[in-house]
Amino acid sequence: MIEVNELRKQFGQVTALDGLSFTAPEGQITGLLGPNGAGKTTCLRTIYGLLKADLGQALIDGVDASAEPLAARKKIGIFPDKFGLYERLTAREQVAYFAQLHGMNKVDAAVAVQQVFERLDMLAIADRRATGFSQGQRMKVALAQAIVHHPKHLILDEPSRGLDVMSTRILRDLLRELRQQGTSILFSSHVMQEVAALCDQVVVVAGGKVAAQGTPEELCELTGETALEEAFVKIIGTDEGIAA
Amino acid sequence: MSGRSRKFSQSLTRIVLMKELRDAIRDKRSVMAAMSYAFFGPLLMAVAFFFLISQLTDPSDVEIDIQGAEHAPAFIDFLAQRGIVERQQAWPAGQHPITLEIGADWASNIAQALPAPVTLTADFSSTKQRSDIRRIEQALEGYSQQIAYVRLQMRGLDPRVMQPIDVIKQDTATKGSRSALIMGSAMIFILLSVFFSGMNVAIDISAGERERNSLELLLSQPIPTQQLVMGKALAASCFAMAGGVLSVVLIPWVFQFLPLHEIGISVVISASDILLMAVMLLPLALFATALQLFVSFRAKSFKEAQTYISFVLMLPMMVVFGVEFTNTKNPLLYYAPLTGQHQALLDIIKGEMIQWLPLAISSLVTLLVGWIILRLIGRMLASEKVVFGL
Repeated sequence: MIEVNELRKQFGQVTALDGLSFTAPEGQITGLLGPNGAGKTTCLRTIYGLLKADLGQALIDGVDASAEPLAARKKIGIFPDKFGLYERLTAREQVAYFAQLHGMNKVDAAVAVQQVFERLDMLAIADRRATGFSQGQRMKVALAQAIVHHPKHLILDEPSRGLDVMSTRILRDLLRELRQQGTSILFSSHVMQEVAALCDQVVVVAGGKVAAQGTPEELCELTGETALEEAFVKIIGTDEGIAA
Repeated sequence: MSGRSRKFSQSLTRIVLMKELRDAIRDKRSVMAAMSYAFFGPLLMAVAFFFLISQLTDPSDVEIDIQGAEHAPAFIDFLAQRGIVERQQAWPAGQHPITLEIGADWASNIAQALPAPVTLTADFSSTKQRSDIRRIEQALEGYSQQIAYVRLQMRGLDPRVMQPIDVIKQDTATKGSRSALIMGSAMIFILLSVFFSGMNVAIDISAGERERNSLELLLSQPIPTQQLVMGKALAASCFAMAGGVLSVVLIPWVFQFLPLHEIGISVVISASDILLMAVMLLPLALFATALQLFVSFRAKSFKEAQTYISFVLMLPMMVVFGVEFTNTKNPLLYYAPLTGQHQALLDIIKGEMIQWLPLAISSLVTLLVGWIILRLIGRMLASEKVVFGL
């Protein structure tokens, strides 16, 4: 379970997080929905322990990343906002590198890589270098390196940005499958369709704090609207920075 | 730290090292950069020295204007034997003519044993013509002395009365120490090779990683930044060392083909010397890499890092060139990073005894400084200010 308690973070004059709290329980997909600049990425970076919160804490299974970053990071898989691949490595070498960084030995890593490639149907590109991969193929590599070590928590930052329909479908299917297996999945997005289609729970973030929280249906009920989009606009009070 | 987790962290360093090495070896630009300096450098130096030597041993005639040659044919013959001849073509632009003027009364003056005036007109401050003018002056003196001896003998005097002091010059300059002059610049080249050869890899694995958007994800993995930095530094050091070893091996090899003996220089560098030089470069390679990583981890892009690094490269260059050309002698030089290795290299090629203790100390100091810089980088990467450029 990922728990975020009263996170506050200030960058100079700008308040990025203003007492943000939510939980992402096991076996659920939690969507962090908010306009650009709402503090989503800052929140995720705090969970990995790359940023230190001024106040509050982020816990992964009770481990605080700001106190024990390595222990916390061992529990999570990350699908980053911008994923740079190592162009001169093959997909297999690349994913094996991340498996080994998570403490797997060479043999275990090789087995895990083979498994995740079979699951994501990417054996055909396994031994090709990343130069020349399509956006969809790149996404698969990034996804493979996020889940190769079987993390109990998966965090995705704007995962469907720039993906084609097929890649998005693969991603969604995988996330549902992982949810079935009890993984707690947290993903940030500013794309409404994405959130509505996938999430068990939506946390609407605006101005660095939670504007509303609940299932998509609950949010609609809350605002008396029938479509999540309308509900969302009502909640944050503007439609600026939102993609339908 | 327990033994188990220590072993784990060391293996993390190794994982990073192996990945970066594999990545860098496939990068043609990095390999080319590392090897071209070590390959073409010695070649370039050989060509330069080749021209230098042929200039120093230049036996060509000095061509000057001679006026009144018809008055003193014997004198002209003497000058011609010494390689001083009348000029046929015009003087090149920018060069002052050298003129030797023989008076019309030369023959009568010589016959009466009176000083015969000869006028030498030239730009005596010209550095280009200095050796030409010296040769002319020496020839004039030689002829003058020859006539003086003949005159003394004709008067029944021993010419040795003109030579109250017999100066015997004993040149203590060994062939080795003379060669140090030329080899000194070769040694600078070897020293700098470790700075140049690993540079491209160092930039690629730091600023390049940031530019490709892979740094943030890498820092989010469960690996202590110190181990990450160490693995990367070792990878770049391998490249720095490869370049260093190549130039240590190539430079003595190339020098075999130069006619150094013509200017009285002998270069004998044994295999064990080469090995020692390579070992000496090891701590320097780590030091150079640490310095480069320190600046390029702060850069946002490959280009920015290159700019920073070119400034950082000025530092070692200024130090070694400064020491070499000002001929600074200070015992402290033997202990400091870079200058310590420089002094030891010079001792090796001069054939002098190596001062083992100072060399050991300077190697340790070099390693220590490099290690401290790497620790600093590790800390830097744990700071959100540096990672996100806040």
